[in-house]
Amino acid sequence: MRDLLSDLIDSAGARAGYADARFVRSRVERLSTRNGRLDQLDSGESEGIGVRVRMGGAWGFAAVRGTDRRDAELALERALAIAEAQPAVPEETPLAPEPPAHGEWASPVERDPFEVPLEEKLAVLLAADAGLRTEPGVNLTLARFSAFRTEKIFVSTEGALCEQRITECGGGISAVAVEGNDSQIRSFPASHGGHVAQAGYEHFLELELPGHAPLVSSEAVALLRAPACPPGRTTLILAGEQLGLQVHESVGHAVELDRVLGREASYAGTSFVPADGIGSLRFGSEQMSVTADATNPGGLGSFRWDDEGVEGRPVPIVRDGVLAGFLSSRETAAEIGLDRSGGCTRAEGFDRQPIVRMTNVNLEPGDAGSLDDLLADTGDGLLIETNRSWSIDNRRLHFQFEGEAAWEIRGGERGRMLRNPSYAGVTPDFWGSCDAVCSPSEWRLISLLDCGKGEPGQVMRVSHGTAPARFRNVDVGMA
Amino acid sequence: MNTLEVAQRAVGHAGPGALALVTHERSLMLRFAASRPTQSTGIDDVTVELAVPLRGNVGRAATNAVDDKSLADCAARARLVAEAAEVTHDGSFPGFAPDLDVAALDSFDPATAELAPTRGGAALADAFVEADAHGVEAHGIWTVAQQDQAWATAEAGGEERRTDAFMKVICIAPNGRSGYASQAAVAAGQLSAGALAERAALKAAASGEPVELPAGSYPVVFEPQAVGWLLDLLGGTAFNGLAHAEGRGALDGRLGKPVAAAAINLSDAPTSARTLPRSFDAEGTRKMPVPLIQDGIASAVAHDVRSAALMGELSTGHALSPGGDPGGPHPTNLVLAGGAVADEGELCAGIERGIYVTRLWYANVVRPKETLITAVTRDGTFLIEDGRVTRPLRDLRLTDSVLGILSRAQALTRDQKLTCEGEFYGRRSAYGVVCPAMRADAVRFTGAAG
Repeated sequence: MRDLLSDLIDSAGARAGYADARFVRSRVERLSTRNGRLDQLDSGESEGIGVRVRMGGAWGFAAVRGTDRRDAELALERALAIAEAQPAVPEETPLAPEPPAHGEWASPVERDPFEVPLEEKLAVLLAADAGLRTEPGVNLTLARFSAFRTEKIFVSTEGALCEQRITECGGGISAVAVEGNDSQIRSFPASHGGHVAQAGYEHFLELELPGHAPLVSSEAVALLRAPACPPGRTTLILAGEQLGLQVHESVGHAVELDRVLGREASYAGTSFVPADGIGSLRFGSEQMSVTADATNPGGLGSFRWDDEGVEGRPVPIVRDGVLAGFLSSRETAAEIGLDRSGGCTRAEGFDRQPIVRMTNVNLEPGDAGSLDDLLADTGDGLLIETNRSWSIDNRRLHFQFEGEAAWEIRGGERGRMLRNPSYAGVTPDFWGSCDAVCSPSEWRLISLLDCGKGEPGQVMRVSHGTAPARFRNVDVGMA
Repeated sequence: MNTLEVAQRAVGHAGPGALALVTHERSLMLRFAASRPTQSTGIDDVTVELAVPLRGNVGRAATNAVDDKSLADCAARARLVAEAAEVTHDGSFPGFAPDLDVAALDSFDPATAELAPTRGGAALADAFVEADAHGVEAHGIWTVAQQDQAWATAEAGGEERRTDAFMKVICIAPNGRSGYASQAAVAAGQLSAGALAERAALKAAASGEPVELPAGSYPVVFEPQAVGWLLDLLGGTAFNGLAHAEGRGALDGRLGKPVAAAAINLSDAPTSARTLPRSFDAEGTRKMPVPLIQDGIASAVAHDVRSAALMGELSTGHALSPGGDPGGPHPTNLVLAGGAVADEGELCAGIERGIYVTRLWYANVVRPKETLITAVTRDGTFLIEDGRVTRPLRDLRLTDSVLGILSRAQALTRDQKLTCEGEFYGRRSAYGVVCPAMRADAVRFTGAAG
C-alpha cells in the first residue's frame, strides 16, 4: 500500500501544487442490549483511498473504495478534474510549512477488543441490563459496547510517509422511565453512548457498568417524582460530561479557525471569535485556561500525526481567560500568519477530506480542591453532570443546555434531585462568570462520540479533560 | 456495479433467512465560502449490509468490498454475532418478509448521474455573480449523486436506481446579516443557482437595523424550510414506531385523538413524485403511504419489521437498516398538505407584531414525549408589523413543543416545497419534507441567538 500511495503522489506531484493520499481501513463493532434482550449486534469494515490535490488554491478530493491500483489512479484523475472545474481562486495562500512526517505509531492497547469473545462482552452487557431492570417503573433499559479501529497511511508530495493504528473502546448504560406525558432518562457514565477511550477492552471493564446499573435505574424512576428545576438565576456547578460538552460547544467549536475565517458558514456556522483576537479577546475569567492537546493518553482526539501529517502537540487556546490560539490546519494557519499548523486536521474515513477538528480540548484544572470542597464553598446553587440535550447558535455565542438531572446545593452539600434542569448563557459572559475550577485530582477526560461537521458530513469522536467548575449568576429553568 | 447481483451473492454466503442490502454511492459535492470554492469531494463507495436472523436475534455485518471472499467473511461475521446472541435467549425479531413485486420508481436522471464537475463549477460561478451584484458574499454547496440500491433474500430481490441534487446558498452581507435559499430535486437540471443566490442575497441585504425582541410568545410565519425541520423532528419523537411500542412515543395513548389544528394533514408519501421517491426500505419492504395526522387527529406511526412485531402489526416500510436501526424507524417522505393562502406575504397579513422565520438551526429534542425541542432561527429572521415584514430581527431561540406549534397553526400556503437540509452523513441517503409555509400563534421563544 505504501508503494501504491507513493506512486500515486509521484504522479500527482507533476500536475498539482500539492497532493496527499490516505489509505484508511476502519473497523467497528457495536453491541447493545435492550430490555434484557440483545439488540444491536453490528460489525463493520471498510477500506479505501482518498486523494487530495491543490491547484491554484482550489482543492479537489476524490475517494474510492478498496486498494485497486487502477481505481486509485482514477480517483487521482477525478480529484484533478474536480479542482480544475471550479471557479478560479483569486489568490493562493501557501500552506503553513511542516517537516515531512515519517514513522509509525499505534495507540496503546492492553487487550484487543476485537479479539475478546462476543459471549464475554455480551455477558457484561446483559449483567448491566439486568441491574437496570431491578427498579419497578423502568420502561426501557439499554447497555452498550463499542470498539473502533482505524489504520491509516498518509503520503504527501512534500515527502511525508507515516502510518498509524488507533484503537478505541468503551460503553455505557441508560434507563428510561415513563409516566403519563413525562419521560425521564438516566445514564452512566455519560449519555449519548457512554464513555469511550483510546484504549482496549480493559477500559470497557473499568467502567464497571453492572455495578452502577441499580442506581441509574432508581434515579430514572425517582426523577418522575422529583420537583422540576425552578426558573431563576443561580450559582451553577458543572461537572463530568456536561462540563466537557460546554467546553466542546462554546470553546472548541468557537476557536476552529476555518469557522473563524468563515469557511464553514454554509453549515456549521461561523464564530464570535475574531481572527485577530489572540492576546486580546477576553474569553472568560482568569480561572479559565484551555489547551488543545493531541497527546493526552486515552483521549479520542489523540494521535501522533494529524491527517495532514502535522505532529500532534499541546496548543494553548485560552490562558487566564484570554484567547491564546486556534485549532488550525496548514491552510488556515497560513491565512492568519501563524508559523505552523496547530495539527488539528482530521477526516472521518478514507472518503472524507481532512478538515479542522478538535483534538482533546481541555479545561485546565484549578485549585478549588475536590468536588466536595467546591460544593462546601458554594453554599447554595445547582449541580449538573449528565447532558440530555444541547443547542448553540451558529456563532457559538448563545447556548441552551438541558441535563438529565440536577442536584440542589444547599448549605454546601448535595441536596435533592431536580428534573428537567436547563441553563442558558452567552459564551464569554458565561465563562467570565467562572470563579472556581477544581484541582488536578478531579481532572479527567470525558468522551463525545458524535461531533458532526463538514459537508459531506463527518462524525468525529473527541475527548475533553475537565475538573468541576463553578459559574455565578446563571439563568436556569427555561425549558 | 450491479448492486442486485452483489446482494444476491452476499445473501448466498449468509444462508437462509438472511437479507442483504447493497448501496452504491457515486457523488460529487462542491463547497464554497466567501464567493470562492473551498472544498470538493467526489465519492465512489459501496456498503454491503448483511443481516442474519437467528432465533429472533439479528446479527449484522457490513463491508465495502464486493469480492466473494470479502462477502463470505462479512457473512461469517454476521452469523458469528447472531450465534453469540443465541447463547442467551430468543429475541423477538420475526424474520424478513420483503415484498416480491415492488416496482422501482422513476427517481433517476441520467444527466445528473454524470456527476459533471464542470456543471457544478458553472453553478458556483452563477451564484458568485449574483451575490456580487447584490454586494454580498455567497457560501454554500452544490451537490449531485447517484445511488443504486438493491436488496436480496434467498427467495427474492429488488433494486432501484436514484439520483438526487441539492444546492443551498447563504449570502452574507458586509454588516453580517445573512439570507438563505435552497433547492432539492431528483435532477440537477432543476437547480437554479442564480435564482437561489438572488433570493438569499435579497434577505441578507434587507435594509434596516436589526431589532431585538425579548423572550416571549409571538405569532410566527415559518417558511417551508423551517416547517420541514419541525416536521422531521416529529419523525423521531412522535412517528417512531419503536418509541411508540416502548411507550416512549409522543403519540402513545393519543392515536385517534386531536394533536394538531384541524388544518394539519400530514402523511408519509414515499411514492409521491414531489418527494425524493423510494419504493422499498432497508428491509426490502415496500414503502407504504402512511397517513400520520388527518384533520388534526393522530392516526398512525411508522414501522420497520422489528417495531411492527412489537405492536402485532406489519411493517410500513420505514426501516433505516436491515433488522431495524437502534433509533427506530423514520418516515423519510413526509408531506404536509397545503392550505388556502397564496403566499408568505398573505400569511403575514393580520399579524400585528410577529416573527418571520426563514429557517431553524441546531434543533435538538429536549423532552421527546412532549415533542419539546429547542432551536435557533438563522439566515433570514424578520419582524412582522401590521401585517407585513418590516425590518431584520436579531435571531432568537425557539423552545416549544412541535405538536403544540401544529395545534396553534392558523394558516398554510397553497404551494408546497420539497425541503432538504443537504446533510449527508455516512452513506448518502437524500431525503426531504414536502410542506407549505405556515402561520402559527403563540410560539415560545426563550432568548436571543446569533
